[in-house]
Amino acid sequence: MRLSFIRPISCCSVSSPATSVKLQKPLFLRPPTFKTTISDLKKWHLWAKSLTCSVGSTFLELDNGPDSELLLRELNWLVEDAIQTPKSFLQQPHKNYNDNSSVSIRASLEQLYMLWKQRVEERRPFQYVVGCEHWRDLVLSVQEGVLIPRPETELIVDLVNDAIKENEELREGLWADLGTGSGALAIGIARILGSSGRVVATDLSPVAAAVASYNVQRYDLEEKVHVKQGSWFEPLRDNEGEFVGLVSNPPYIPSKDIGGLQAEVGRHEPRLALDGGASGMNDLIHLCDGAFSMLKPGGFFAFETNGDEQSKFLVHYIETKKQGNFSKVKMVSDFAGIQRFITGFRGR
Amino acid sequence: MEIVVQSSVGQYSKPFHSLARNRIMAASVPITRVTAMDRRREGISQLTSHSFFPAIRRIRAMHKSITSCPTVSFATPDVGVSNTETREWAMQDFYTLRKDVETVLERVQEIRAAAGLKQLQEDLAALEAVAADSSLWDDRAKAQETLQALTDCKDKLKLLCDFKTQADDAETIIKLTEEMDSIDSVFLQEASGIIKELNKALDRFELTQLLSGPYDKEGAVITITAGAGGTDAQDWADMLLRMYVRWAEKQRYKTKVVEKSVGEEAGIKSATVEIDGRYAYGYLSGEKGTHRIVRQSPFNSKGLRQTSFTGIEVMPLLPEDSTNVEIPEEDLDISFTRAGGKGGQNVNKVETAVRITHIPTGVAVRCTEERSQLANKIKALSRLKAKLLVIAEEQRASEIKQIRGDTVKAEWGQQIRNYVFHPYKLVKDVRTAYETSDITSVMDGELDPFIKAYLKHKYSLAANPSGLT
Repeated sequence: MRLSFIRPISCCSVSSPATSVKLQKPLFLRPPTFKTTISDLKKWHLWAKSLTCSVGSTFLELDNGPDSELLLRELNWLVEDAIQTPKSFLQQPHKNYNDNSSVSIRASLEQLYMLWKQRVEERRPFQYVVGCEHWRDLVLSVQEGVLIPRPETELIVDLVNDAIKENEELREGLWADLGTGSGALAIGIARILGSSGRVVATDLSPVAAAVASYNVQRYDLEEKVHVKQGSWFEPLRDNEGEFVGLVSNPPYIPSKDIGGLQAEVGRHEPRLALDGGASGMNDLIHLCDGAFSMLKPGGFFAFETNGDEQSKFLVHYIETKKQGNFSKVKMVSDFAGIQRFITGFRGR
Repeated sequence: MEIVVQSSVGQYSKPFHSLARNRIMAASVPITRVTAMDRRREGISQLTSHSFFPAIRRIRAMHKSITSCPTVSFATPDVGVSNTETREWAMQDFYTLRKDVETVLERVQEIRAAAGLKQLQEDLAALEAVAADSSLWDDRAKAQETLQALTDCKDKLKLLCDFKTQADDAETIIKLTEEMDSIDSVFLQEASGIIKELNKALDRFELTQLLSGPYDKEGAVITITAGAGGTDAQDWADMLLRMYVRWAEKQRYKTKVVEKSVGEEAGIKSATVEIDGRYAYGYLSGEKGTHRIVRQSPFNSKGLRQTSFTGIEVMPLLPEDSTNVEIPEEDLDISFTRAGGKGGQNVNKVETAVRITHIPTGVAVRCTEERSQLANKIKALSRLKAKLLVIAEEQRASEIKQIRGDTVKAEWGQQIRNYVFHPYKLVKDVRTAYETSDITSVMDGELDPFIKAYLKHKYSLAANPSGLT
């Protein structure tokens, strides 16, 4: 059943004939085949820094985007990813203005100029620029067409871990990550499951399914995680009622809010992964409705929401409309104190 | 050569003896090529054996045969070669040198006695017995602890042994010279060199003896935070960052600026540096506090005199698994920066910073340097533990639980040092009253005199808590 997206990736990108999805290899994984001099690199770095500093807080005021301080942090990370030996470059900023010694980089100097220009002028998300996102202890490949996993979502893996500790049966069962995107949750969960624990990751987007498969392969989890393309529960029909756990970070932003999002999100990330319909809860309600028949008795679910309002509504919805189907339904807040998740168990 | 010797600070294990020897070799080269070659050939055995005689004898022999008459006899002061400089050195300084050698011999003896040589040897034997036991690796952590203790013990013994060898070498030269009834200035200069280096090593050793805190041997994490005062304060914070990095480089410690938040116009708002090396924490722990600068600020358009402050915080750099401190989850308030707004899918900013507050004590740490939230959380927790352990140590509490939250001082409340650039130049420590007008060297990382003065001050306070020194 596994899709044919999994194939060796060479150099920068390769197109998969089955789906014609072009996979972008993360910058830090590309071979350092380009050469430049320290002084030229330094010139680029100075240019990038001054471009960044000129931003000041304009993006912040405009659409709550990043200020120059955050952008400078990103620039350091770009250097880390692009240069073979970034430490010597970053740690001795005053010593290498006239240094003509050679340095190996993973993209040409022209590309580096272009990438940072895209970052600042087009507001292309940093994670698309470097092709990866550090998430929990993972480094996940991401590219246009795939939602960049957010730090808040890291917490779902901890919630799953807590549930597993309460009930060890969950460790060896079948899990599903619905709307997996880059595969973050599926991989995070697969790594805490036991030897016979499995995860099915679904996504409607062929790009997401391809990127998720690539990430699964990078972490050697092909045996544990199966990526399937399709809408929500559709690809899971064969295993109805067999799941010990369901997790999802579905699109939950109300359609009317999409236009006001910070440019990195609104202009560049896939609307499919963000727009949750008029109330933002179309997909969340669909998930709540379908969860009962998918889960085994005692099975666990955790869904991410847009915050307090949606979480309260959904807990109320489950408790009234799905009376008796679920137990211990509750809201869990993220580290910023927003009620970000709803969790619960199927009744026995 | 001086620098190399200094750099062995902190890693006391290898230093000194062999370096001093190398110096002798190097200095001897001008005498004659043959000598140098010859000695290099046999160098290894010489360096490992601790006797100085063969070298001296051989050089003396060669010296005589090749350069016909390089020595200056007391009886016949001038035999054709007009070597007044040598003679003068010899005449005036031989007795001083002999006195220096006697003093250093006494000092070495005292230090060896005070260090509990016998006890150390017994400790070594006991530790070796434990290390040789087949059950050693049953408890991995304990095994590592034992092996570290064994290394420490061996290092210390070797050092004490080296002190003696070096003092003996110097004494030998003196005796030999007396025996010969003539003076070889090259030798005496070497003896004088040995004494000089040995005294430095003894100073350093005594200083290390003052470092007996449980974390003194560890590396250090320094957090530098610019105080109020705008760009001037942020520039001052940057100057201090440079100062500590330079100091650490001089000690040959590994430094890593793990977090740096740059100021709008110049300087930094804050920075965190990890300094990895033995005793880094012991030396730097006294740097904790507020550092004040007075100068004509380059950022003040009127060129007026301005005062700014920067806070320095120092924590031990503990290996991640070494802090077997469990803090109950409910005592921790973990928050991460999401500048307002709705968070989640609505926002994509690299704000993975995690701030953890220990609720009972109010002690807080922040970690922003890692690229994922989880990584920042792990690191922040490890820093928080290190911080709480240090506070517990300061309060002589045996457990984190016993820390009296109300008495935890503001992180860097106390002003410890003034750096005056204008109208005169002066760096003065308010605790020890140690001062220097060489502000440039201090800013270049010449902190040792301040560190030493503070450690002695702290030690004497501990010995006489009433302050009636």
